[in-house]
Amino acid sequence: MLLSVLLAAAVAADDARNPLHPRIDAAIAAGHPDFATLAAPPADDAEFVRRAYLDLAGTIPTVAEVRAFLDDKSPGKRAGLIDQLLASPGYVRRMVWFLDVTLMERRPDVKVTRTAWEEYLRAAVANNRPYDALVREMLSNDGADPKTRPAAKFLLDRNLERDPVTRDLSRVFLGRDIRCAQCHDHPSITDYKQAEYFGLAAFLNRSALFPSAAVANAAIGEKADGDVTFVSVFDKDKKQNTTPPMVLGGKPFAEPKPEKGKEYKVAPAANVRPVPTFSRRELLAGAITSPENTAFARTAVNRVWAMMLGRGLVEAVDWDHPGNPPSHPELLDLLSAEFVRHNHDVKWLVRQIALTRTYQRSSEAPAALAKLESVPADRYLVANLKPLTAEHLAFAVAQAGGQPGGAGSVGTFRAMFGGRPGESQADFTATLDQTLFLKYGPALRGVLAPRAAALAKLPDEAVADELFLSVLSRRPTADEAKDVADALRRAKDRTAALSELVWALVASAEFRFNH
Amino acid sequence: MPRCDYACRTADHSVTRRGFLGAAGATAALGPLGFAAPGAGAELAKAQKRVLVLFLSGGVSQLETWDPKPNTDTGGPFKAIPTSVPGTHICELLPHTAKQAHRLAIVRSLNSVSPDHGIGQRIMMTGRPPEAGIEYPELGAVAARLLASGAPGLPGHLQILPKGGSGFGTKADAAFLGPKYASVSLGDGKPPADLLRPKDLSPESDAAREEFRRKLNDRFAKSRKSAATDAYTESFDQAERVVRQGEVFDVEREDPKVADRYGRHDLGRHLLLARRLLEAGVTYVKVSHSNYDTHHENFDFHIEQLGEFDRPFAALLDDLADRGMLDSTLVVVMSEMGRTPKINDRYGRDHWSKAWSVALAGAGIKGGAVVGKTTANGTAVADREVYSGHLFHTYLAAVGLDPTKNFYPNERPVPIADPKAAAIREILA
Repeated sequence: MLLSVLLAAAVAADDARNPLHPRIDAAIAAGHPDFATLAAPPADDAEFVRRAYLDLAGTIPTVAEVRAFLDDKSPGKRAGLIDQLLASPGYVRRMVWFLDVTLMERRPDVKVTRTAWEEYLRAAVANNRPYDALVREMLSNDGADPKTRPAAKFLLDRNLERDPVTRDLSRVFLGRDIRCAQCHDHPSITDYKQAEYFGLAAFLNRSALFPSAAVANAAIGEKADGDVTFVSVFDKDKKQNTTPPMVLGGKPFAEPKPEKGKEYKVAPAANVRPVPTFSRRELLAGAITSPENTAFARTAVNRVWAMMLGRGLVEAVDWDHPGNPPSHPELLDLLSAEFVRHNHDVKWLVRQIALTRTYQRSSEAPAALAKLESVPADRYLVANLKPLTAEHLAFAVAQAGGQPGGAGSVGTFRAMFGGRPGESQADFTATLDQTLFLKYGPALRGVLAPRAAALAKLPDEAVADELFLSVLSRRPTADEAKDVADALRRAKDRTAALSELVWALVASAEFRFNH
Repeated sequence: MPRCDYACRTADHSVTRRGFLGAAGATAALGPLGFAAPGAGAELAKAQKRVLVLFLSGGVSQLETWDPKPNTDTGGPFKAIPTSVPGTHICELLPHTAKQAHRLAIVRSLNSVSPDHGIGQRIMMTGRPPEAGIEYPELGAVAARLLASGAPGLPGHLQILPKGGSGFGTKADAAFLGPKYASVSLGDGKPPADLLRPKDLSPESDAAREEFRRKLNDRFAKSRKSAATDAYTESFDQAERVVRQGEVFDVEREDPKVADRYGRHDLGRHLLLARRLLEAGVTYVKVSHSNYDTHHENFDFHIEQLGEFDRPFAALLDDLADRGMLDSTLVVVMSEMGRTPKINDRYGRDHWSKAWSVALAGAGIKGGAVVGKTTANGTAVADREVYSGHLFHTYLAAVGLDPTKNFYPNERPVPIADPKAAAIREILA
C-alpha cells in the first residue's frame, strides 16, 4: 500500500517535470516532413468548446456555456475547461457509452439488462477504476452472484460460445481480428496463427453456461478437464493439433494437476453448476491484462486515441498486425508504456490527449493543405471530422432543442443510428432511413420544438446569435445573420419559421460531425 | 491486404460493414439502396430487366398446384384441369392461372434438400445449400447489384411482406454485396417510415429550409470537405428523390376497376403494388403470401390460399403483357419447400423437399414448357432432377446475366451462382 502511494507520488512528480502531452505533439510533428508549414492552426474557441464538450461530456454546450467560454479572457481557459468537463457527470456518461460500445458492440442485451450494465460501468468510470482491474473483473466473474453479475456481461451476453468469445477477446482486448485463424493460419498475415486462436480458445474450452444458454439467469460453469483440438483446413493429412491456454506468444501456463478426487470445488452432478479447483477461465483474466501482454495496453490506448482523434494509430482498431503498422509507432509505444506506468488510468490518458495541440488543432484545412490532392488523415495535419455516435446525436439534438438531458430519446437514436450489432463501427454511413428520420420524422420535430418557441420570444436582432450558439455553438457569420433576418421578415408564422431554421442547422453537416 | 471477412463455423454472420464498403478509408457509403446513375432514358427502360418473385410462404403443395396427382393414394380430393397448353394439366384450384399456362414454364423435378422453413428459404433465395463460413446474397440483392435500375433514386431490392413495419433498415440478405443492395421491406405494402412530409410543413417552408441547410453545408464544405460529409449531404438529395417518387408506393392511386381485378384483399393489393413498383423501374420485387404451412387441413387451406393467389396472379401476368413488360420481367412462383405427398391423419401435408415444383414466366422463359417428372404418386423425382442451384442459374440467364461469373468480395472470387449447377436450358427461350 505504502509502496504504491510512493510510486504514484514519484510518477506525479515525474509528470510535472516532463508531462506527456508535449511529447505526443513532438511525435506527431515528426510524422510529416513538412509538418510545420502544412499543419492547420489551433482550433478557434468556438470550434474547441464544441469539440471538448462532445468528446469529454457527450453533448454540445448550452448557450450560456459557449458564451462564458468565448468571453473568458484567461490564458489557461482551455486546460480549465478540460478539467471541469472531466470532473462533470457528462464525462461519466460519455465514457459509459464508449466502454459499452467497445465491449458489447451494440449486441442485443440478453443476459444482463442494459440498466444493470450501465450502472456497473457508471460506478467504474465515476471511480476511475484502472482499466486492467475492470477487465480482470469482467473476465473472471462467473455471473453466479446477482450482486456482481453485471460484470460478466461480456461473456454472458455472448452466451459464452467459444468462438464468438475468442474472436471478440482478441479483437476488443488484443486489437487482432484473428477470426480467420479459426480454420487455418492466416493466408497473408504471417502472425495470425491458428495456434494463437486456439491458445485463446483453450481458456474457455471447459466453460459453458449453466444450466444452458437458453436460461436467462444462467451462470458460468466449468469442467476440470478437456483440451482444444484443431485441424487446419489446408492440411491434407488432417493432423490433429492441440495447445495449452496461451495469450499471443506468451508462455504456456503450467497447469496444476489436482489430486485425483480433488479436481472440483463443486463436482458436476445433475442440476449442479460445476466449479473446478483449478479454473482455466480465471487464468484468462490475468493472462490478458498482464503487463507482459503488451497488446492489452497497446489496444486500450489505441482505442482511446481513436475516440479522441477520429482514427486509431493502428487503423482499424482491431487490425493490428505487421502488414498494417501504426501511423506513429514510437508514439503508440510511448502511450502504452505511460498508460501502464499510470496504472491503466483512462481519465489521465484522455486528459493528456485533450491537452495536446494535436487534439486542439482546427479541422479547417489551411490553404496550403487544401491545395494537396489528398490530405493523409493519419498525419493529423488537420483535425479529423468525427461523426456523432447515436448517443451523442440524441443528447446533442436534445440540447439544441432546448431539452437538456435528452435521455428519453437515446433508444430511438440507438435503433436508428447504432449500426449493425456485433461489428465495430469503422465507417460513416448515411442510410436512407436515417436521413428520412432526420428529414420528416416526428421524433426530431418534437425534440426541437421548445427551442423554436424560446427563440420566438426574442427580439429579431437577438435571434440569429442565440440560434447559432444554441445549435452550432458558434456565432453566425454576417451572411448567416442576414439570412435569418430575411427569413424572419418573410415569415407569416414566426415560431414555425424558427422551427425550420433550427431544423436546418441540426440537419447540416456541421452539426452531424464533431469537427 | 484483404481481411478475411468471414468466420468459419460460427453462428455469427460475419461479413463486416467495413468489408463491403470497399477500399481502406473509403467512408462514403451511400446507404442501403441501389442507386443507379441518373439519366436512364426510355431506351434503357425498355431494355431494363426486372425480377418479380411470388413467395408462397410456409411451403405450398405441389400437388395442389403445378403437379397434381388425381386418383392416386397421395392425390387428395382435387381434379387436374386442362390448361391453355394442350397436354399440360394443373390443379383445379388454379383456373385463372390455367389460362396463362402458355406463358408459364413449370419445373416439376425440384429436390431442394432441406425440409426446414429457414434453411429452405435460404436455399431457394440464394441457390445454394448453407455453407460454413460464408453467407451468400439472395436473388434480390444479386439482381439489384447486376441489373441496371430504371428508377434512379428508388431502392433496387424491395420485398412486400404480409405484415410488419416498413423501413429502409439494413438487412443481412445482401451478404457481402453490402447494405446498398439489401432489401427494403414494405410491411403490408405500407410505404417506408417518414416518407411523407409532415402536415405542418408546407412545401414552401420545406424548400426554404432545404435551401438554408444547403447554404450551411456549402460553407462548411469549403474548408472541411470529406468523403463522409459528402455522403451525408448526398443522402439528403437521395431522400429528396425518393420522396418525390413517393406516390409509387401508394396503391390507392390505381383505378378502382384495376384494384377489383386484382381482388380486394391483401395479396391483391400487394401484387398491384408490385406491378406499380416494377413499372416505375424497380429492379426486384418479392411478394410473400402467407401461409401455406398446412400440417392440418391441407385441402381447405389450399382452397383458401390459392383462391386468393389465382386471380391476381393471372391479372398481373395479363397486365405485364399488356404493358409490354412481360418480355423484360422474369416472374417466379416459389416457396421454401413443397409438401409431403403422404397425407397425414389430420388431412394435412408435412414439410417436403424431395420432389416439388416451381413455375416461371416472362423474360427469357419459354412459355408452355414443362420440365422434369415425378413418379406416379409424386413421392420421388422420376426424371431431370434439379435443385435450387439450377434454378438460380436459370433466373440469371433468363434476364441476360452470365451466372458463371464471379463476385469479388475482398478480392476473392465467389461464383455468382453455384458452380455445381447449370441453367435449365429447356425452359429458356
